[in-house]
Parts: sequence; structure tokens; C-alpha cells
Amino acid sequence: MQSRDTAKRAKLLCSALVAGLLPLAGNAQDTKEITSWDLQTQDRTVANIRAGMDRFEAANPGYKVVDSHFANDAYKTKLKIAFGANQPPCVFASWGGGPLREYIRAGEVVDLSPYLDANPAVKGYFMPASYTPVTFEGDIYGLPARGTSIGVILYNKEIFEKLGLTPPATWGELMNVSKVLNENGIAPFALANKSKWPGSMFYVYLVDRIGGPEVFLAAADRQPGGSFEDPAFIQAGEMLQDLVKADGFARGFNGLDYDIGGSRRLLYSGRAAMELMGNWEIGTIANENPEFLGKLGFFPFPAVEGGKGDPANVVGTLGDNYISISTQCPYPDAAFDLLVKLTDQTSTEEQLLDNIVSPVLGIEVGDPTLQGVIDLVGKAPSVQLWYDQELPPTLAEVHKDTTQQLFGLSITPEEAAATMEAAAKAEAN
Amino acid sequence: MSVGEAVTAAEKLRRSRAGSRRLHKAAPTIFLAPAILLLMVFLLYPLLSSFRLSLLDWNGLGDGARFIGLQNWVRLAHDTVFWNSAWNNILLAFFSVVVQLPIAVVLAVVLDEASKGSRLLKILYFLPLLMSSVALGVLFKNVYDPNFGPINGILGAMGLYSWTQDWLGDPNFALGSVIAVVCWQNIPFYMVLFLAALSSFPREITEAARLDGATGRTIFWRLKLPHLQGTFRTAVLLAVIGSMRYFDLIYVMTGGGPENASEVMATYMYRTVFNSFELGYGSTVASAMFLIIMVIAAVSLRISKRFETEV
Repeated sequence: MQSRDTAKRAKLLCSALVAGLLPLAGNAQDTKEITSWDLQTQDRTVANIRAGMDRFEAANPGYKVVDSHFANDAYKTKLKIAFGANQPPCVFASWGGGPLREYIRAGEVVDLSPYLDANPAVKGYFMPASYTPVTFEGDIYGLPARGTSIGVILYNKEIFEKLGLTPPATWGELMNVSKVLNENGIAPFALANKSKWPGSMFYVYLVDRIGGPEVFLAAADRQPGGSFEDPAFIQAGEMLQDLVKADGFARGFNGLDYDIGGSRRLLYSGRAAMELMGNWEIGTIANENPEFLGKLGFFPFPAVEGGKGDPANVVGTLGDNYISISTQCPYPDAAFDLLVKLTDQTSTEEQLLDNIVSPVLGIEVGDPTLQGVIDLVGKAPSVQLWYDQELPPTLAEVHKDTTQQLFGLSITPEEAAATMEAAAKAEAN
Repeated sequence: MSVGEAVTAAEKLRRSRAGSRRLHKAAPTIFLAPAILLLMVFLLYPLLSSFRLSLLDWNGLGDGARFIGLQNWVRLAHDTVFWNSAWNNILLAFFSVVVQLPIAVVLAVVLDEASKGSRLLKILYFLPLLMSSVALGVLFKNVYDPNFGPINGILGAMGLYSWTQDWLGDPNFALGSVIAVVCWQNIPFYMVLFLAALSSFPREITEAARLDGATGRTIFWRLKLPHLQGTFRTAVLLAVIGSMRYFDLIYVMTGGGPENASEVMATYMYRTVFNSFELGYGSTVASAMFLIIMVIAAVSLRISKRFETEV
């Protein structure tokens, strides 16, 4: 008994050292603790999540949810360390896709299919397509916990009106808009590309508009004929560099930090007129700078002249964050109940007030901006998940590196494509 | 006391002496054992296991590890990003020594001479070292911000717009910009080191030198600097080793970017392990880092010994 207690304490100590968050004083005997990690840091969003957890605690006496919230990039590292050290949280958020598949392959994630089959009401609550990023070999490993997140171009309506501009529908028009903005001393796009994923959005959208989603799928799945050196990838690189050369981005774009608001500052101050970003940023802006929200509009990524991709396609994810349960969780059944509480109708409604739209069937949105996002998704023939979340981690890193280099004009689109293809070949072996 | 008793007493004495001699021999081992044990557990074991990991192809999760021999090492030998980051470490070490130490010495000597009135200044100069690197990093990200930061703001206001730069986003400036902050943060550390060394500098010598007509400059160059040479060697060694394994400010400010321009070995290792999920290759980078630092430390120790002279 003594040694088991010691072992338990040692385990606790370890996880506290690793994650720096488990309260040492917590006596684990009488309350069953469920740890839950996510990457939400806005006060209002965290409060909503906590409210769902409180409802779970009220419905399940004896359980206590210990929640921790981390900043985006730090979160990815924390999660990796925690799993590597065999001290993962019970419930954790991810984007599905490549990284989650690594954890699933290692047997670290609970298969939710049996639970969902037993609770058809839960399963049927969400749009079927929203399960795609968390489906692996036919089984479902997560529930969509946040909102539909797609890349849209946010813009300052005031600036556009003053200069007589209208949202561009094609890439050619976008280049014209950029030219007019530059002539008036306003940078066309704000971009904070230090962590590389924000810039990647341009590349993903361009590839999708030029070659359609099939090109990426064929290259990523190593289908016969599929290659990252496909002309679509090279043309996307060229067009991206055209925009850079035409001063399309506010100064410092490759060094600005998204997590400290490097790009939003440019929008707020009116020094830049547009930003390609996930629609979650509308919620961030509402929390951060409500005054600016009145000037904010958005439009879909423009079509590319002669491109094969449907301009109605969107890049992003229906669920944004998915919550999953780790296999090391001692109370998986209770954890599933927590997952349900965090995604049920009450949570959905609370999130809606926070500008987060869950991928729920037949959702009614009051806010016209959000309704616009939902309409875009509803009409989209395909939703392409962000490359950095879809690809296996090693490849995702190469993709992000080469895209940042494309932005920096330090490699040619052909070189970027060749590097990516070589890495994909090495990964497939 | 009979003869027999005397003999046994002598025998006892001899025996106990032998025992204490044996104890004497064992004493160092006994005293060192705890330290050695700790070193083995927390230093030697992780070191060896990281070498072992460097022979694997493994994402660090589950039991999918695959033994691939020296393949990771071959890959490392051809990895231009790694060698470029090692070179950046060397640049960082060079500038740390060349920038930090002279400024630290001058500050220390000045503060030492102004001993009484300088208490407040000592505290002020010491502040950068007390701040967390992450907070400093975020602070300087804002200072360097090309659109809103004070550096470009002041340059612009002075009409020197052409001097403004994209400090952290331009591959030509990123490393230099970060090195400047690293130096700024670490100068106080060496200043304190030199201040401590100067406090043992006998005042009579200065007085005697003054009586002999020595100027302040002579006292600095001929007396104080030679007195500091031992500390100087330690400082150089610390600065070099610290720079070779540097991580925090670079990670916070640029993440090694843009385009690997400010990548150092430690940030590259971090990226391979935590972003690419390549624990095996990341361990190869870590092991190579260890070997490189060992060689460089040994060489700088050897070189600094050569400069050792009698004061």
C-alpha cells in the first residue's frame, strides 16, 4: 500500500514537473480528477469551456475537471512532451489530421466509435463531414469542440469605401486592389509569418484554386501520378511571389509574431487593409478591439483565372479543434461524458455568443458576419484541411519552411516543390 | 601488565591503525559517492541514452522505434541547416566574448572606483539579468517591430528612414538583432563576476602606484587588468560554452527564423523533435551538439592556459 502510494505520488510529481500544472496538494483519493488541456486563452472562451465542465461536475458527483489553457504554439509542444513522457492529459484538444494520426498510431487515443454508436443522438448532432479530420481507418477519435474555421480575407471596410474599392473576386482584381492600396500608402495584407502557418494559408488556397483539392490529395497520399512538383504547386508559388514582389504584405511579415498580435495591430491602426486568416479572428477581434469590429468585413479567397479548382471551395476545418481522450485516462467513460457536455446544445449556444460556430446540423446564427461564414461552408463542394495539420508532422515542417522561404523570395517555386517532393518520397519509404 | 597483555595491546593498536588507514583510503570514495551517483543518474545516463536514441528512427510515441544504425549521423553530416546553425552558434560566441566582456570590465572598474555612490547603479545595471528571457524576448519583439517599434520610430523621426530595417524578419538582420539582446542581457552577469574579482584587489597597491606617479590609465592597464586575467579566462569560457548551447531568447524572438537565418543548434534540435516529431534525428543533433561543445570547451581551456602568466 505504502509503495503504491509512493508510486502514485511520484507519478503526480513527474507530471507536475513535466507539465507544471498538476496541483501537488490535491488528494486524489476521494475526488477523481480529469485533466483537460486546450489552446483557448481568451477570457470569454475559457469561461464558456469552464461552464461546460461545471455542468459535467454537477452531473457527475465525485469528479473534478482540472483544466489548463495554453497559447497556440506552446500547446503543440506541451502535448508532445506530455505524451512522450507517458503523462498525457485525460482530455485534449487537437486539429485532427497528421499529428493526431501519430498519436492514434501509437495507441494513445481512445476510439470513440463504440461510444458514438451507443449514443446516436450525440453522433447525429454534428455535420457528418466534420468528422473527417478525426477519422482514422473508419473509426472516430474526436468530437468537434470549437467552431467552423475557414480561411477568409478579413478587410477594413472603411479603407475600401474611402478608396472606392470592392472586394476582389479574382486574383487579377486582388492584384489591382493591392496596387491601389499601395499607391495610397496602405499595405494590402497584414501577415505575421514567424510561426509559418499564417503564410501557408495563401499557398494552400492558391493550390486549391489552381488545381483543385485532388492535386494535393494525390500528392499527399502518394497516388500514382501525384506529386508535389505538379504544375499547380509551382504556379501557386509563382503567384505568391508575384504578390510579395508587388509589395502585397506589410513590412516585417516573415518576423512578426501572430501570438502577440503582430498582424492585428496593423489592421487596427489602418496601416494594412486585409488579412487572410481563419474566421476565429473575428471572435478574437471582438474580444480584443470591439470598436474595430464595426469596420471589419470579409470575403472569400478570390478565384484564379483559368484555375481548375471551384472558387466556392474553402480551406479550413469544420471543427477547428477536436477533443479526444487519451488511452491513459483512468476514467474514459466519464471523460466521454465530459466531451459531450463540452459540445452539447448549451455549449453550442454559449459559443455562438462568442462568435464560434459549431459544425452542428441546422444551426441558427443571428449574427450576419457569422451567417456569412456558415453560408460559405454550406456552399463549399470541398473543405481542404490546413496542410500543416493534414500532413504528417515531418512533411508539415518542410511545407512550412519552404513556404516561408517562398515568401522571403530566397528560393524559386521549382526548388520549393522539389524539396517538398523529396521529403514526401523519403516519408513514404 | 604481563608481557602477553602488552603484546595483544600493541597488536590491537596496529590493527586499528591499519583499519583507519583503510578508512582513509575509502574516505574519498564515500564522500564522492552521492555526487557521482547523482551525476550518473542525471548526466551520464541521459547522455548515453540520447546517443542510443540517435541510432533510431522514432517519433517518440509508442513502440514504433526502428534501429537504423548510423543513418541519422550520415544525414546530419549532409544537413546544411545544422552546419549553418552551428556556425551561427560560433558567431554568437564570438560576439558574446567581444561585446560583453569589455563592456562588463569597464562597467565593473567604473562602479568599483565609485564604490559608495554606485549602489543604485549596480542594482540598475543588474536588472536585465533578473528578467525572464521570455518576458525580455516579447519586450524586444515589440521594440524591433518594423511598423510600431521605437527603433524604427526614432530612426524615421530623425529623417533616417533608409536606416530603418525589418530587424527580425529580414534574414540579414535577424541574427544580429537577437545577438544584441543576448549581449545586453548577459553583460551584468560578467560585470558582477569582475566586480567580485576587483573587490579582492588590494587598495594599498593603488595607493602605492599613485605615490609613484601612476595615472588612472596606467593603474587600469598595468595593475587591474592583469589582476582580472584569471576571471577573464573563466568569463571567456563561460561565454563560449553558454553561446554554443544558447536557446531561450532566440526561440522566443525568432524561433530560429526567418528561413533558418537565426537558427542555432539548440533551436534546430527543438524543432526536429517537437515540430517534426523526429526524436531519433533530434537526439542526433543533441549528441552532435554535445560533442561540438566538448571539443570547443577543451580547445578554449587549452588556449586560455597558454595565456596564463604570473601576475
